[in-house]
Amino acid sequence: MKDIKRHSAVAFKATPLKNQTYGDWDVVLEYHGEGDGPWLVDLSHRTRLDLQSADLAAKKPFGITIPEVYCQSVLEKGVLINRMNRIQASIYHLDGQSMDTPKEKEYTDVTEATIFVAIFGSNVFSICEKLSALDFIGADKQTPFLFQGPFSHVPCQIVTLGREAEKSGVVLTCSRGYGKHMIDGILHAGEEFGLKPAGEKRFADWINSL
Amino acid sequence: MMNRFNHLPTLKIDVSDKIPFTYKGKTYYGTKGDTIATALYANGVRIYARSLKYHRPRGLYSMDGECSNTMMEVNGIPNVRTETTALKPGMVVKEQNVKGSAENDLMGFIDKMDWAMPAGFYYDTMHKPAKIWPVAMKQIRKAAGIGKLAPDHHMPGKYDEIFPSCDVCVIGGGPAGMKAALAAAQKGLRVSIMEARPWLGGHFEYRSSEYISRQTHHERAVQLAKEVEKTENIRVFTHTANVGVYNNNLITGFQVGKESDSFTERYIEIRANSVVVATGCIERPLLFENNERPGVMQAGCALRLANTYGILPGKIAVFSIGHDLGLETAVALHDLGLSIPVIADIREDGQDPAMLKAVLDRKITILKGWVATEAHGGKQVKKVTIKSVDGTISKTFDCDVLVASAGFTPLTGPLVVNQAKLTYDNHTNFFLPTDLPKKMYAAGRLLGFENAKSIEASGHLAGLKAAYDCENCSIADLGEAKKAMENLPGPARGTKLVTAPVKGRKTFICFDEDTSIKNIKQSIDKGFDVPELIKRFSGAGLGPGQGGIPGHNLPLFAAKYQALPDIKIKPTTVRAPLVPTLIATYAGTNHTMFKRTPMDEMQRKDGGIFRNIGVWQRARYFSKDFTCKKEIENVRTNVGMLDGSTLGKFRIHGPDALNALQRVYVSDLSKIKEGRVKYTAMCNDDGCVIDDGVVIKRGENDYYFSTSTGRAGQTIEWIRYHTRYDNWNFAVINLTDAMGVINLSGPNARKVLEKVVDIDVSNEGFGFSEYKEFKISDTIPVRAMRLGFVGELSYELHVPSSYMKSVWLMLKEAGREFKIQNFGVEAQNVLRMEKCHIILGQESEQRTNLLDIGLGFLWSRKKTGCKTVGVAALAQAEKDNTRLKLVGFKMENNGRAPKDGSLIVDDRVRGYVCTARNSFSLNEAVGMALVEGDMSKIGTRLAFYEDECKGELIYGTVVQTPFYDPDGKRMKM
Repeated sequence: MKDIKRHSAVAFKATPLKNQTYGDWDVVLEYHGEGDGPWLVDLSHRTRLDLQSADLAAKKPFGITIPEVYCQSVLEKGVLINRMNRIQASIYHLDGQSMDTPKEKEYTDVTEATIFVAIFGSNVFSICEKLSALDFIGADKQTPFLFQGPFSHVPCQIVTLGREAEKSGVVLTCSRGYGKHMIDGILHAGEEFGLKPAGEKRFADWINSL
Repeated sequence: MMNRFNHLPTLKIDVSDKIPFTYKGKTYYGTKGDTIATALYANGVRIYARSLKYHRPRGLYSMDGECSNTMMEVNGIPNVRTETTALKPGMVVKEQNVKGSAENDLMGFIDKMDWAMPAGFYYDTMHKPAKIWPVAMKQIRKAAGIGKLAPDHHMPGKYDEIFPSCDVCVIGGGPAGMKAALAAAQKGLRVSIMEARPWLGGHFEYRSSEYISRQTHHERAVQLAKEVEKTENIRVFTHTANVGVYNNNLITGFQVGKESDSFTERYIEIRANSVVVATGCIERPLLFENNERPGVMQAGCALRLANTYGILPGKIAVFSIGHDLGLETAVALHDLGLSIPVIADIREDGQDPAMLKAVLDRKITILKGWVATEAHGGKQVKKVTIKSVDGTISKTFDCDVLVASAGFTPLTGPLVVNQAKLTYDNHTNFFLPTDLPKKMYAAGRLLGFENAKSIEASGHLAGLKAAYDCENCSIADLGEAKKAMENLPGPARGTKLVTAPVKGRKTFICFDEDTSIKNIKQSIDKGFDVPELIKRFSGAGLGPGQGGIPGHNLPLFAAKYQALPDIKIKPTTVRAPLVPTLIATYAGTNHTMFKRTPMDEMQRKDGGIFRNIGVWQRARYFSKDFTCKKEIENVRTNVGMLDGSTLGKFRIHGPDALNALQRVYVSDLSKIKEGRVKYTAMCNDDGCVIDDGVVIKRGENDYYFSTSTGRAGQTIEWIRYHTRYDNWNFAVINLTDAMGVINLSGPNARKVLEKVVDIDVSNEGFGFSEYKEFKISDTIPVRAMRLGFVGELSYELHVPSSYMKSVWLMLKEAGREFKIQNFGVEAQNVLRMEKCHIILGQESEQRTNLLDIGLGFLWSRKKTGCKTVGVAALAQAEKDNTRLKLVGFKMENNGRAPKDGSLIVDDRVRGYVCTARNSFSLNEAVGMALVEGDMSKIGTRLAFYEDECKGELIYGTVVQTPFYDPDGKRMKM
């Protein structure tokens, strides 16, 4: 019998320096030559949940209150919750130990449905504006906030977590099938700004700095 | 190469940095900062190209690419605007539209044939006999091309795109634009400036005349530009031409990259809350005989040649102008060494006294109320005749340059493409914008201001108005700015002269299309009396200059010639792109963006040949034999693996999940039992079948269902739309990408599967149409179905995508002893066709309903509690015998299969072939077709008309279906 492994749709050409196994996932903590930023980190192994309920206000996933305003997000205890619409929120596990799916039927584990990446560091919004007409730096929005719109012409969820210089960054999910071409597109757009693949350690440092 | 000035503060060149380039096979040198056109001019080139129709010699005229005069072939690319294209080392520059050379063009004789080509001559002469036209057209195109591009030309360079947002976008980086940007930015707004030239400053930038005491216009431009550049919230896009403005202030343009940029050109699409248009003016061409002869140029062109590029335009220049910039140019060029025998000023009075004094101080003769009437010289200007405006007195002067300009024309394109209206203004002689769209403002010279302070103040006011739109400016601030404007000079009076007193045979109103005043008169005389009609009949304004040269003169002349009491005539409609550029720029980076399945990599390694199918890339073949004989035979006799991951997959749950399913599916899904698979279909309101798939009940109010690949993206919207008034409580989640699918098919499928899983997969343990959930190695969750799409024993395994690679490799290893093989989409297509299982979109089109394709059995007429989409239409269509029916056919005499899409005919079209192939399983050609009801009877002979068959029909006969395993024993084995 072959070894059982889980594979992300995101694959970087960079050489891993440090790896760690989470369940059946082999996660790169650091790559050779990550540079000074901006960085692109694959988070596809991190749990994402879909929560749909007619009474969303009554739900408190992981003890966190879901934002009332559509497209507003909240980051608490390493969990990012994004209000999508009247009945729906998306939940991303960003930091800390793995996250279990709540037992209620309203939750669906959609980790497998999407790729999940973070783009952060200097010039991140210069990269974003090459791929999307969404306004990540408009003064009318407070971080963290959610966009549900096109990025490189693909429908995505993009959450802006930071907008201050080096702490600028977004996390992005899109259909898993687009993984390879989306990553190619992001890396190509970021080439002139020195965008490099990075391991999860770099991401953890960024999240902790926010 | 002529000596060039190197001491002027306005210069944009570095004469110490020589740039080599090739022109007509010889090496020449320009300097850093040159455009191609200025480098050629500095090297003595005066004739750049020949005109489109008459092959007249053409030279430098405007410097802003307003006409095709200086379009040349550069590095193999035709129609490059050499006036605005920066010179780069190694460029290869060639003339275009010449037979021989631009200097000696063998086609030049056509210029004398103009009598034979009046306006619209091809409409008059080339329709009788009609067959002449294709021949004539070819000859005309041969004679009048403007460049050729090889079909296999590979566009060098890197083309990019950006989509920035801002609060205020300012189009035009001259003094008004910069002041507008600063005003808005000082209110804390994000501002973008688009400037077509490679630097800010507009018409201040190249002028050494006095702005205020001890400050020149150039110095003021530099001062403002520095202020703009140091303002953090102003983003400057230089060398960026605006090409369009659309609803809700979407502004498009393209930027030419500098050496340090990562792009050659990039497309820019700015979304702004408010827009200020401060694009200034171009000069209105003066109309006289031979007004486009090389050596004739506009005042701004002559001045910029000297002040920006360090080139004195000639030795002796006559001026025929109608504005103070003309006088200023004469003074500046005189001081640089140009001999000026005379200035013919159209105006009798109204000149700036200081400027007039400067002219007289230099002892330059100025004749007020005079105008150039003819430029003499075969290929270049050698002398000029000027006349009093009434045409009574004339004088002739030798010269090599004629600086000619009637007045100004506001650049209103960005306003007009966004639906602003233009109205003639008697004072300025401009067509001024009125009824501006909301959140859009005009400023600066385009409103007629010529006073420098007024220009800046109007920009400041427009910037504040834009800020007010963004709720960042007070009424008091606006009032203050308006008051400041009131204390400054208003718009200047414009010159009214339209044309010099000439007959107009060689007076060109449009250089691009060689349209003369005489042609315009001919058009009007034939009844084409407004610019839109004149344009189309005479060609004026149809050329690559986008109407830049004739835009303003055409309506003025049309009004004058018809002696209209007031000028209600409007310029022709301006459309995007206001400035044309490369298609490569519009294409941008064009990232490949398709979906790949979790098994993509393994299938590529196994030799899969991929095709783009909808949003997916799928393995269509696994060998270069596109009949897929081996793949098909392997499935029929052994076992194969297909990647079916592209199928749509969804979870629907909640108290009203069943109601929602009942609404969109035609079957009664309340009867689904857990552990069973239910095949069903969806229709639209017309009863036309739009999707099919299977539904599985996984628990109380919890279902898993599949859709066809093409419908996956629309399924949630479809369900939500058709339940929008019901207030039902259910949730739908798209799991298409979450689950990979392997279709394990063939008589040995069970033997392979049982080596991998721990459950009983015998026919008794896991029967046809059953559904099971289990884990592989206690780890990998699998949702498995016994289906038979390809007509054989089949297992459809739905597995979390991240585990798919592991499962794929396990099955391959387990199947090694059976020589398991991949099969692709084409093999699947043939296998299912032999079984007469349909693929929607292939055996149906948008008019095909559920009954037409024989799926009526899915429709539950007894379903209660919930109306189903499309069933009312189906009930009506049920009695309609005229509809197309899906039939199976075999070919006569063991003939080949017709092409998909071939028509079925008798004395008219009676249907078409959906899918037909030469079947290896049946050893004959079979297919499915949609035919009219009366042709669907078994035994009906069908005649197939294929494309390019030249009338040679092939024949088949309607037969019973399915062709393969009619009892269905093989998929239930």
